[in-house]
Amino acid sequence: MGRSVAAMITAERLTKRYGDKTAVDAIDFTVRPGAVTGFLGPNGAGKSTTMRMVMGLDHPSGGGVTVNGRAYRDLPAPLHEVGALLEAKAIHGGRSAYNHLLWLAKTNGIPRRRVDEVIGLVGLEAVAHKRSGGFSLGMGQRLGIAAALLGDPGVLLFDEPVNGLDPEGIRWIRNLIRSLAAEGRTVFVSSHLMSEMALTADHLLVIGRGQIIADTDMADFIARNSAAYVRVRSPQSGVLAEALRDRGWRIGRDDDGALKVEGATPEQIGDVAGSRNLYLHELSVVNASLEEAFMRLTADSVEYHARTDQPVPAGV
Amino acid sequence: MTTSSILTPPASIPAPARRGDAGGARLTFGRILDAEWTKIRTVRSTVWTLASLFVVSVGLTALICLAAAGDLGEAGNDEPVGAFVTWGLMFGQIAALVLGILVATSEYASGMIRTTLAAAPRRWSVLAAKATVVTGLLLVLGTLTAFASFLAGNYFLDREGIGLSLGDGDVLRAMFGGGLYVAVLGVFGLALGSLMRHTAGAVTVGITLIFVVGNLVNLVPGAFGEWLTKLMPGNAGSAIANVESFNPDLLEPWTGFAVFAGETALLLAIAGWLFSKRDA
Repeated sequence: MGRSVAAMITAERLTKRYGDKTAVDAIDFTVRPGAVTGFLGPNGAGKSTTMRMVMGLDHPSGGGVTVNGRAYRDLPAPLHEVGALLEAKAIHGGRSAYNHLLWLAKTNGIPRRRVDEVIGLVGLEAVAHKRSGGFSLGMGQRLGIAAALLGDPGVLLFDEPVNGLDPEGIRWIRNLIRSLAAEGRTVFVSSHLMSEMALTADHLLVIGRGQIIADTDMADFIARNSAAYVRVRSPQSGVLAEALRDRGWRIGRDDDGALKVEGATPEQIGDVAGSRNLYLHELSVVNASLEEAFMRLTADSVEYHARTDQPVPAGV
Repeated sequence: MTTSSILTPPASIPAPARRGDAGGARLTFGRILDAEWTKIRTVRSTVWTLASLFVVSVGLTALICLAAAGDLGEAGNDEPVGAFVTWGLMFGQIAALVLGILVATSEYASGMIRTTLAAAPRRWSVLAAKATVVTGLLLVLGTLTAFASFLAGNYFLDREGIGLSLGDGDVLRAMFGGGLYVAVLGVFGLALGSLMRHTAGAVTVGITLIFVVGNLVNLVPGAFGEWLTKLMPGNAGSAIANVESFNPDLLEPWTGFAVFAGETALLLAIAGWLFSKRDA
C-alpha cells in the first residue's frame, strides 16, 4: 500500500513548562508528507523538547501533538509508523549493533531479516556483531538511523542528525533525508544551522524561545532573504535614485539613507552616475546570507548572547 | 544534488513485506517481554552478576562449613547448624539486587530508555516485562545456587556426622526459598533503580537499606525496635532462604516472605506510577 495521506505530525497549542520557565510556548504546526520540514532554531529554543513530546517521551504541560491523528502512546505499532533519531549513541555500549536492532525489532514484531536489511542499508555489516561501545560518533549515528528505518515508517524525526559528523557522513545523511521525503514520507529534521537547512529542507519552521517565529516555504525564504544588492551613497542620492529607477532596477533605502540597488552591478551603477556627473561616496556589493537572515529572525530569541561586540566600560 | 553516496546509495530503501502497514504487527506484552529478554541476555553484565551470585554464595558457604564443621560437631554446641548451609547467600544476594538495579539504570545511563519507550510507549507494560524477566532469571538461578550451596556446605557437615537431609521439610523450603528471595530482591532493585535512575546511587541506597539499616534497627529499643527489625525488607525476606536463622526473633519464613513481597510490590507500584508520570 502507498503512504497514507494522513501521515503527518500536528501540534496544537503544544506547551512545555519547567517550573516557571516556558520551554515550548503554545506552538501550532503541521509537518506534511512528501517533504523535508526543517525545524530551525538556536540552541535551547525548544527543538529537542518539542521532538520528545512528539515521541511521547516528555509530557506536554498544555495542548497536544498527534502523529497520524493519534497521540504517540496510542499508536498500535509505533515503529511501523514513526522512526526517530533523537540522540547519537543512545545504546548500551556492551551490546552489539545487531542485538540492539534485534530487541528493538522484537517489540513491534518486525522480522529478523529486516534487521540484516537495515544494517546493510546504513553500511554497518562489518561491525554489526562488535560491541557498540567502540563505535565512532558517525557509526553510532548510522546505527541510530538503522533503528529509525527498522519498521519502514511513514514519519521520520531526526534531531540534529549531522552534529559532529565528518563531511562524508553529512553528505550521506543529507541524501538519505532527501530520498526519504522523495518516497512520500513525512520527514522532520531539526538543526541550529541555517546553511544545513537550506540544503535539505523544503519547508522551514523557525523556533525561538519556545515560539514559532516563521513557518514558510524554503524557496520563498531564500528568495526573500538571500538577494544580494549594491549599496550606494551619494550626496545627490535623490537624483541618482531617479536615474537608477529609470533603468528598471529596484531601489530601496538603508537605515542610514544609503541606496540599496537590486538587479544591477556596481559597474552599471557607476556608469549611470558618471554619465550624469553625480558623485559617489560608496559603491559596494552586499551579500545577505541566509545565516544572517536567520540571525536577524532569531536575534530577539537567542537564549544566551555572547557579549563580544559591546565592550563593558571600564570602572563600572 | 549528488547521488554518488559514499557507502550506500540511499535512493532505494528496501522495505519489509508489510510496508507502513501495521496489520498483524501490533505491540503486545509478549513482544515487549521477548525484547526485554533479548536485552538482558545480550549484555555481559548479566553474565557477570549471575556468575558472582552463584560463585560467592556457593564458595562462601563451602568455606564457612569447612571452617565451622569441627566446632559444630562438638557436644554442647548451641549454634543453629541449619543456618550454615546457605550462609554464602547473605553476600551473594547483593548480585541479585545489583542485577535488578542495572536492568533499570543502565538504560538511563546511555539514554537508551528513550529508544525503548519510542518502540513501546506503554510504560507499565515495559516495567512489568522487566520485572518478569528479572523474576524468572533469578528464580531459576537462585534455586540452583541454593541447592549447590547446600550440597557444598553439607558435604563438610556430613563428614562430622551433623549433615542435614534434603528430604527435611525446612531444607527443601529453604532451597526454593532461596530462589524466591533473590527473585523478589531483584525486583526490589529494579523498582529502586527505576525510581532513582542512577546506578551508583541506587546500589548505595539498596545495600544500605537491606544490609546496613536492617541490622542497625536492632539497636532501636523496645517493641517498636523489635517490629522494625522484623519488618525491614532484608530481614523479613531472607528467613525463607534459610533452614534456620541465627536470629530467633525474625518473622516466620512464609510470613516474612509475604511481608517482603508486599513491600516490594508497593515500591514497584510507586516506581511504575512515577515512570508513567515523569519525562523519560
